[in-house]
Amino acid sequence: MTGLKRVAVVLLALVVVSSSLFAQGTKEDAAKGQVTLNVLNYIDMSEPNSANEVRLVWDKFESENPDIKIVREDLFNEPFHYKTEAYIASGQLPDVLYMWPSGRSTSLHTTGSVKDLMPLLEKDGLVDDYNPAALAPQFSGFLGELPNGITTTHMLFVNKKVLRDNGLTLSTDYNDMKKMVSTLKAKGIELIAMDNMDDWVMQSCLFSMVVGRYGGTDWYDRLEAGEISFTDDWFVKSLELIDDMYKSGMINRNTLSSPYGASRSSFATGKAAFLIDGDWATGSFMTDITTGDALINAKAQADDFELMAITNLPGEVVKNSNSGVVGTGWGMSANIAAGSAKEEAAWRLIKYLQGEYVQTYRLSTGASFPSNLKVDVAKVAAEQNLEPFITKRAEYYNKYVPITPVIDGVLHSDVYNVINSGLQEIGLGSKTPRTVAAEVQRAWEAFLKNK
Amino acid sequence: MAKVNTMADTKREQRRAYWALVLPGFLLYIAVMAFPTIFSVVLSLTSYNGGKLFGGKPVEMVGLKWYVRLFGDEYFYRALKNNLWIVLVSVLGQIPLGFFLAYVLYRGLVRGKDFFQTMIYLPTVISTVVIGILWKSFFAPHGAFPELMRIFRPGYEYTMGSHPMIPVLFVILWMYSGMYMIIFMANLQKIDNAVIEAARIDGAGEMQVLRYVILPALSGVIVVTAILAISGSLKSFDLIYVMTGGGPANRTSVLSIYMFDKAFKGAPNYPLANAISTVMVIISFLLIGLTKFAEKKFGGRE
Repeated sequence: MTGLKRVAVVLLALVVVSSSLFAQGTKEDAAKGQVTLNVLNYIDMSEPNSANEVRLVWDKFESENPDIKIVREDLFNEPFHYKTEAYIASGQLPDVLYMWPSGRSTSLHTTGSVKDLMPLLEKDGLVDDYNPAALAPQFSGFLGELPNGITTTHMLFVNKKVLRDNGLTLSTDYNDMKKMVSTLKAKGIELIAMDNMDDWVMQSCLFSMVVGRYGGTDWYDRLEAGEISFTDDWFVKSLELIDDMYKSGMINRNTLSSPYGASRSSFATGKAAFLIDGDWATGSFMTDITTGDALINAKAQADDFELMAITNLPGEVVKNSNSGVVGTGWGMSANIAAGSAKEEAAWRLIKYLQGEYVQTYRLSTGASFPSNLKVDVAKVAAEQNLEPFITKRAEYYNKYVPITPVIDGVLHSDVYNVINSGLQEIGLGSKTPRTVAAEVQRAWEAFLKNK
Repeated sequence: MAKVNTMADTKREQRRAYWALVLPGFLLYIAVMAFPTIFSVVLSLTSYNGGKLFGGKPVEMVGLKWYVRLFGDEYFYRALKNNLWIVLVSVLGQIPLGFFLAYVLYRGLVRGKDFFQTMIYLPTVISTVVIGILWKSFFAPHGAFPELMRIFRPGYEYTMGSHPMIPVLFVILWMYSGMYMIIFMANLQKIDNAVIEAARIDGAGEMQVLRYVILPALSGVIVVTAILAISGSLKSFDLIYVMTGGGPANRTSVLSIYMFDKAFKGAPNYPLANAISTVMVIISFLLIGLTKFAEKKFGGRE
């Protein structure tokens, strides 16, 4: 028994000593003169070049900044957002985190969880290095995150080979596309591939663009001013267009059981003539620099694919517009004391992540288009012989203007969640556009009342 | 001279031992069960809307505001309806099926008892996430199910249509019936074979043995499995979350997913999410009470 007790005491002592060693890790780092930064990173590890980011971005930063230790947590899609909400509720926000300018990061903005980065930009004289549109005040009323760039949320990927092989001429005119349905259906090919299981996809990647076309570039300002409502023609017509797309078979109702990202490979392999996604999806088709594999290789990108937007919606009041929003980027926890070594380290990391090197890297992988004006897209494309999708993407940005608001970028989630559900109800054929419009208006009025 | 233990000393010792044994468990229960439950109810009556819970913005008591909102939301009723479907499939599907399978194997009505026992129980030990992904791929637009259906009906297209819960309910039935089979098998083995043999000698048929010997002997187990099924059904989350995420348009949502969405999707509404969890607890108690009542009224004695 005494022997057993001794063993128990020794084990207990070991546990206590080892746990205190782990617990003292940060202090130990501090003793070495290192600042530890907890970082919440947003990354889809299944995408090409994602794994390289660890080596080419994060490891590089640590080797160049030996006084900073990064403790990184990588998450993607919904789990990322859920974890962020949990961090906010616990008051234990990571020091540096990936975030949205509004929409999905509403809580970060409304709870004052992140710092205004503009004073830090001004202090370092970096304001002129960024596209002024990217530095516009965000949901919090200030620059809560330093954005990667400007994101357009509607991109129509076109598989020209599928169209050619089926005797069809390339057109993104709404009515022309509608006429293609019967020819393609007869051969078991979808007209438009989309992943509508996640409810934000339809709203963000198609409906926001449609609302801009019918509501005008200033629809949100007029809505906020009380000049228009969701039951007016501009919004009902937008919903009716989505209804028409489902009813005519332009979008198959079975897309409602397709999880986000699932249809990219079926589009690349010719099971659909078009794919609707956001501009960020471009990167998923490009070549993984480690393996040399690509969903769409460089030659096919040049010859068989185009990056466009749907045009000429029946009765639209704005031509050729696209929905866009300030891109995602990096924010800093408001818990970090102003003027502290940690703030200096966190700011150094954010400057690096949105600096010339990382933004050039992100451009080369198709992850984003730069907000940093030091990155000359044409020059980088020529020098690094970037894949055709990069240059096509630059042309696409110039072609589809003006930019109109993205719904979840301007509306509160109490309202856009009703729109998201309503769009799925229309997809299921269980609610009419007018019913959905009335529900959205009710949600908007309730939001204004509780504001 | 050795001290003689008096009655008072013994009682004191007993009391000390009682507290030494009960207190850790009691404190643990308070910390991880009672406090969070009470705290959740309190939070459902406040205006807390995210940010630091302690030391953040001050919170106000708003009464039953979130309960009123909850009962006015059509998606709450849809989630509740789906939960009740799961309860129904669990109680009237998994338990009878589990019992049937256990009975068939126990009475040796089929060969290969060990093989069937293992295969039927297998889904229970596989990770729910793996199961969810597997079946999600099976029912996906380009998955195996639509392809199989096209063999019989060319041009068949699988859509979530009017019965999106059917695939979910099917998977729930497939996944958990094995667990009930094991529970029933374990209890069937406790029944004295001599009683069954005596009934057979007295001329009882297979159905009569089942009706008058086995089922009464298992009534307690049936109630326990029903309670397990009900509580498990009400907290079902992981499988559905992986398979459908509650969509489309909340068609496959259940109360736990509905609560999770309110807490974490978009701007969080923690008081509303806590109101939902409180309602879930109340519904659980009601259903379990109903089961106990049914057992008292119709159950036999073990």
